[in-house]
Amino acid sequence: MSELLIKNGRVFDPINSINGDIMDIAIKNGKIVDDIPLSPDTKVIDASSMIVMPGGVDAHSHIAGSKVNSGRIMCPNDGRSGIEKRTKITRPCSGYTVPNTFAMGYRYAKLGYTTVFEAAIPILHARHTHEEFGDIPIIDKGGLVLFGSNWQVMEAVRENDIEKLAAYVAWGLSASRGYGVKIVNPGGGEAWGFGKNVSGLHDTVPNFDVTPAEIITGLAKANEMLHLPHSIHLHCNLLGKPGNYKTTIETMKLLEHIKPSMDRQVVHITHLTFNAWGGTNWGDFESKADAVADYLNQHDHVTVDMGQLIFGNATTMTADGPMQYANARLLATKWTNGDVELEDASGVVPLSYIRKMYIHDIMWAVGLEVALLTKNPWQVLLTTDHPNGGPFVNYPEVIALLMSARKREEEMSKLSNKMRDRTTLSGIGRELDWYDIAIKTRASHAKILGLTDHGKGHLGAYADADVTIYHINPDQVDAGREHATVKKAFEKPAYTIKDGKVVAMNGEITATPEGRTFWVNASVPEEDNTRLMKDLRLKFRKYYSINLANYMVQDSYVKHPVVIKAGGS
Amino acid sequence: MQTVTLTPIIQSKISIEAETITPDNFAGKTREEIENITIWEGNHKTRLFEFFKIALEGKDSPENTKIIINGSIPRVKRVGEGMTDGMILINGDVDMHVGAKMQGGVITVKGNADSWAGREMKGGEIIIGGDAGYYLGAGYRGESCGMRGGKIIVFGDVKDYAGEHICGGEILIKGSAGLMPGISNNGGIITIEGNTEMPGAEMKKGTIKINGVVETLVPSYKQEDDEEIDGIVYNKYTGDVVAGGKGSLYIKK
Repeated sequence: MSELLIKNGRVFDPINSINGDIMDIAIKNGKIVDDIPLSPDTKVIDASSMIVMPGGVDAHSHIAGSKVNSGRIMCPNDGRSGIEKRTKITRPCSGYTVPNTFAMGYRYAKLGYTTVFEAAIPILHARHTHEEFGDIPIIDKGGLVLFGSNWQVMEAVRENDIEKLAAYVAWGLSASRGYGVKIVNPGGGEAWGFGKNVSGLHDTVPNFDVTPAEIITGLAKANEMLHLPHSIHLHCNLLGKPGNYKTTIETMKLLEHIKPSMDRQVVHITHLTFNAWGGTNWGDFESKADAVADYLNQHDHVTVDMGQLIFGNATTMTADGPMQYANARLLATKWTNGDVELEDASGVVPLSYIRKMYIHDIMWAVGLEVALLTKNPWQVLLTTDHPNGGPFVNYPEVIALLMSARKREEEMSKLSNKMRDRTTLSGIGRELDWYDIAIKTRASHAKILGLTDHGKGHLGAYADADVTIYHINPDQVDAGREHATVKKAFEKPAYTIKDGKVVAMNGEITATPEGRTFWVNASVPEEDNTRLMKDLRLKFRKYYSINLANYMVQDSYVKHPVVIKAGGS
Repeated sequence: MQTVTLTPIIQSKISIEAETITPDNFAGKTREEIENITIWEGNHKTRLFEFFKIALEGKDSPENTKIIINGSIPRVKRVGEGMTDGMILINGDVDMHVGAKMQGGVITVKGNADSWAGREMKGGEIIIGGDAGYYLGAGYRGESCGMRGGKIIVFGDVKDYAGEHICGGEILIKGSAGLMPGISNNGGIITIEGNTEMPGAEMKKGTIKINGVVETLVPSYKQEDDEEIDGIVYNKYTGDVVAGGKGSLYIKK
């Protein structure tokens, strides 16, 4: 079939420890191969003086599902921006913070990304997520499933029956065709059903007699019992509240003693921009990113992502219902509230991040501080928690900020003085290099998701032939000074190659193949399953609005599935 | 001075999108060029001469350009959208979105204007001799700001939600207004000579003055001392308390 040779590129492939070597990358039948004999059919791309990286991987983004759609419905104004007419091969696009499904795929591909994970799927609404996945072209997808305020989970945790909990997690992943365990404000989503929230890790969830700490450790144990490729993926309690860095660190400490079932972290804590905050109220609000980074520098069982704030419009969307209510009241803005029966809550609030508003300025600094103060680049992933911190199309801006102290200084000069006083950003001289950026935008994402063995995030033999070639010569460009050039190069990669096919060139889509969907099928002992199903049948009969038989996502909803097997040893 | 006269020759049943009819776009053009300006009839791209007979006098800059539409154009939308200067005179009725996003100049509608007249306008003046529809001087769906500047005068009545999300500028309604004029007012001035209902819900800033009868007042307003303006005594209220607002609502005693 098709053969492709990328010649003489400067290759950055951190998983295989390749740091800017001049190499050829050979592709055959959609996979990277060690070598191909040059036949007349082989297409050759001359990548000399260009950077070659594995296709981008995004482990945390909100690209599909009911809350993204709520965002679209409540922000018709968002559809006025980002309008792109259809072409011979692409459908029309619109939107900035909540673009339409087609735009999600095209824009990620144009940015050099080939794999993106949706970070919050309620099992009950998973069918909707997969329908949107089916509509998102080019990129490979997968999704993390919400378990943090689920009745079945909390009951199993209360009974301290980790086997049954694991059986439910396996069943939930299968029912939603999901990939991993997402926990959002554990217990808070249930408390929100009664108009309340949990006040910390050791507060009791109403009617369930469990604490967030117990839910987190229970799910972490179940996650490792099942040998899931990804660790638990956690949105901490008290997110969005001044002083929450203590809870964030306490949460990390809680999981120190848990052994990972494979070579990866025990917990991924997401969007630190929103939960490395000091102070006691909005008046004395400050950054405590340094304290969080200190902890990360001493412990390797945790990975985090930035959730970098981008000034301008954003649409915040999360399963953290009570936090969103507080947000909407604080900002006196519109708000959507969602209740997912026995499973979770949700909220959507559109807002604008404004320069010189010191709270926003400090939040902007927090994400960067975490990324720059944490020594190990593998521990902090580059995200904007799209579209909570800002839309993913701004990743090049974040890359430029991380690579250039001068750019940060230029940006800081536009911000409030309080930001300088209450963060450590102005004292940080660190500038990341190309290798670090390759880690933060693809290698670490694939690694924490456990996708490296499934061909993502690297360019070793048999990996998926997802390659991005950037129009920039690392020998000639000093990223610290020429940050505008860096940003431009990352905004419009020369080539995005997906499964060996050029899908985008210089910011134009050239092909629109359909992507795959990863999901995890974990096996559990039959006896645990029997106990679980007894519980579930009762729940569906008594409480759910739909029948158990109609609950599971059918295979016909999942286009091009890739099933990853997991389960006890 | 440049004067362009458009006389409608056929009335389309399908709505026509005519944001190209502006003094900015017509100024300095020949008759042939104006005739060939693009408009859309539904999803069909067409040109101005298909619907209008065009007469041209003189050639000048936008501020000295006057467009006269001789007759009703009840299915022609977005006339004068984004215009910065000059004049448009419509001797009849006009469809939705007349003067949307207008920045300067004057639009005069002798007949009625449909909904969304002066949507998101920033400057200039719209004078409507007849009635206006819903959402006069309002914002686009989902936006937090409607009209930001300029002035709209309506001699007849208007329907519901006049000045929704208005952030600046002035609306004067000589007749009556429908439900909730000035909803989410954030700094505009609205004067209604006739009657209305539930004015100023969610008002944060700005002023609404009503000389007619208000059947229902939203309950979330705080009554202040009476005030006299131009010899008329008004009940004064501030609110909307629900939105933490500090807008002023005057209702004739």
